[in-house]
Amino acid sequence: MFRFFIKRVIGIIPILFIVSIFIFLFVHMIPGDPARLVAGQDATIEDVENVREQLGLDKPIHVQYLNFVDGIFKGDFGVSLKTSRPVYDEIAMRFMPTFWLTVWSMVFAIIFGLLIGVISATKRNKWQDYLGMFGAVSGISVPSFWLGLVLIQIFAVMLGWLPTGGLESWKSYILPSVTLGAGVAAVIARFTRSSLMDILREDYIRTGRAKGLKNNKVVWGHGLKNAMIPVVTMTGLQFGFLLGGSIVIETVFSWPGLGRLLIDSVAFRDYPVIQAEMLLFALEFIVINLVVDLLYGFLNPQIRYD
Amino acid sequence: MTEPLLKITDLKTHFFGDDGVVIAVDGVTITVNKGETVGIVGESGCGKSVTSLSIMRLLQDTPGQVVGGSIEFENKNILEISEKEMRGIRGNDIAMIFQEPMTSLNPVYKIGKQLEEAIRLHLKYDKKRAHKHAIRMLELVGLPRAKQLMNEFPYQLSGGMRQRVMIAMAMACSPKLLIADEPTTALDVTIQAQILELMQELRETSETAIMLITHDLGVVAEMCDRVVVMYAGKVVEETDVITLFEDPKHPYTKGLIGSVPKLGENAEELDSIPGNVPTPYNMPNGCKFAPRCKFAMEKCWEIDPNLIETENDHLVRCLLFQNKQVEVEL
Repeated sequence: MFRFFIKRVIGIIPILFIVSIFIFLFVHMIPGDPARLVAGQDATIEDVENVREQLGLDKPIHVQYLNFVDGIFKGDFGVSLKTSRPVYDEIAMRFMPTFWLTVWSMVFAIIFGLLIGVISATKRNKWQDYLGMFGAVSGISVPSFWLGLVLIQIFAVMLGWLPTGGLESWKSYILPSVTLGAGVAAVIARFTRSSLMDILREDYIRTGRAKGLKNNKVVWGHGLKNAMIPVVTMTGLQFGFLLGGSIVIETVFSWPGLGRLLIDSVAFRDYPVIQAEMLLFALEFIVINLVVDLLYGFLNPQIRYD
Repeated sequence: MTEPLLKITDLKTHFFGDDGVVIAVDGVTITVNKGETVGIVGESGCGKSVTSLSIMRLLQDTPGQVVGGSIEFENKNILEISEKEMRGIRGNDIAMIFQEPMTSLNPVYKIGKQLEEAIRLHLKYDKKRAHKHAIRMLELVGLPRAKQLMNEFPYQLSGGMRQRVMIAMAMACSPKLLIADEPTTALDVTIQAQILELMQELRETSETAIMLITHDLGVVAEMCDRVVVMYAGKVVEETDVITLFEDPKHPYTKGLIGSVPKLGENAEELDSIPGNVPTPYNMPNGCKFAPRCKFAMEKCWEIDPNLIETENDHLVRCLLFQNKQVEVEL
């Protein structure tokens, strides 16, 4: 188990290396000239060339890449072209709001997704099931920015219970978390429903009932733990969706997070910030996959890590 | 010994499927006395498993439903008690072993946890005591290294071992009735013999009555005091085990016994009952067995015979014997 873990952690390094090449190439393929943007609209061609030299953008692309990688090993991600502050500081400042937004929307998604999924599976083809699956299909189909705007309209503008955006208190988390988590909750609900419906037909469920266990104990204990394996895989994948979703949601809710930083950086062709942030997203994705793999071992005793 | 423990009277269980109603159990009457072993024999689809699930009231995950009759357990109709009361009986007074030991244990929980669950629930033992009791049960069913087994998962055990665990689980709360639904069918022949031996031992050391559901007449001969033969949802013959093998009355029972290979007999071909069990949508009007019966008469296609007592404690559902009785009466 420990050896598996270490092996996987070491395995992250080559993956990140390959990812960094792609990120670097893609970022440099974005049309537009950062030197022009930094120098300003009225700058002469000479000024622009000076800025280009200052930023190191005049060097051949492979040299630029090596500088970028060299910086990473030294813990130096460069300086933002836009604000002239270290990229590390720019990202660190915005990491926690996005991290908590992701965590809370995941908590929301898991609680509601499981609840709806289990109720739908146990009340198959009854009104609870139809209502739950209506909610789930809606959750998948509704675009998150639209859901966000509707929620703002109802709970912030009309009722005045919650803030329209920004990050001031715990209340600020509610609307963005629900908006971001709705789609994931819907997917979890559907997966849980179909997975649990299959599991509830298994012989060991009947054994559990034959022991005299309560229905809740059979479903939530014996059933759900078995039904969780596909749900966990899918939930891990949905984290990627959350990362992408957070870019939209953070714009809708003026959230001081990584998503908005990315939008701003792309608009300004802020190469160092984009690169560092993409690399961070890639790392997050890899870590989540590792967590999912470890969770399998907890859920399914037959999986052994060697 | 002759005090009835379980009395099933005119049980009717129907399945409500998309294509209409299937009559799985059609007026079955079976009595199991205290400490007695009753075999229920019949081909697949004759309603024997559905009967057992009806007793346990475990049809909730199927489209099946009991629509008539009564099931009295210790003089209480368990079809009428609340689900909560029924849970107190399941696993405690009536326990069950299933056909598929490979899939009847939960793959994600340790053996120990699955055993302790019922013990703690019904006997109200604390964790430590339940653990000890579970180990003792594993030893009782002849499993080696019981202590380590408690911490193992079902996939680490063979089919025979799993069935022993199932038996340990079922016997843990000393039930008054054990329903064993084809407990040996999925096992190797040598393991089958071991499991049967174990069940015989348990029967002798405890006062548990056993309802043994099987299609294997060898198992019946080995284990049972009394036998009920079922065909197409109905009881067609019922008698003690010796009479059944020495003097089977119903043509179906005769066919079943005839289709068992006998040692030393040099038959070229085994006898078999021609045809198949009628499908639920295609039930004959008269005797359900008439289409396959060697002795079928014209009236067999029209009259569905009643279960009647031909001799002392020998019940048969066949017009051949109804006539005889009529003749005797005349």
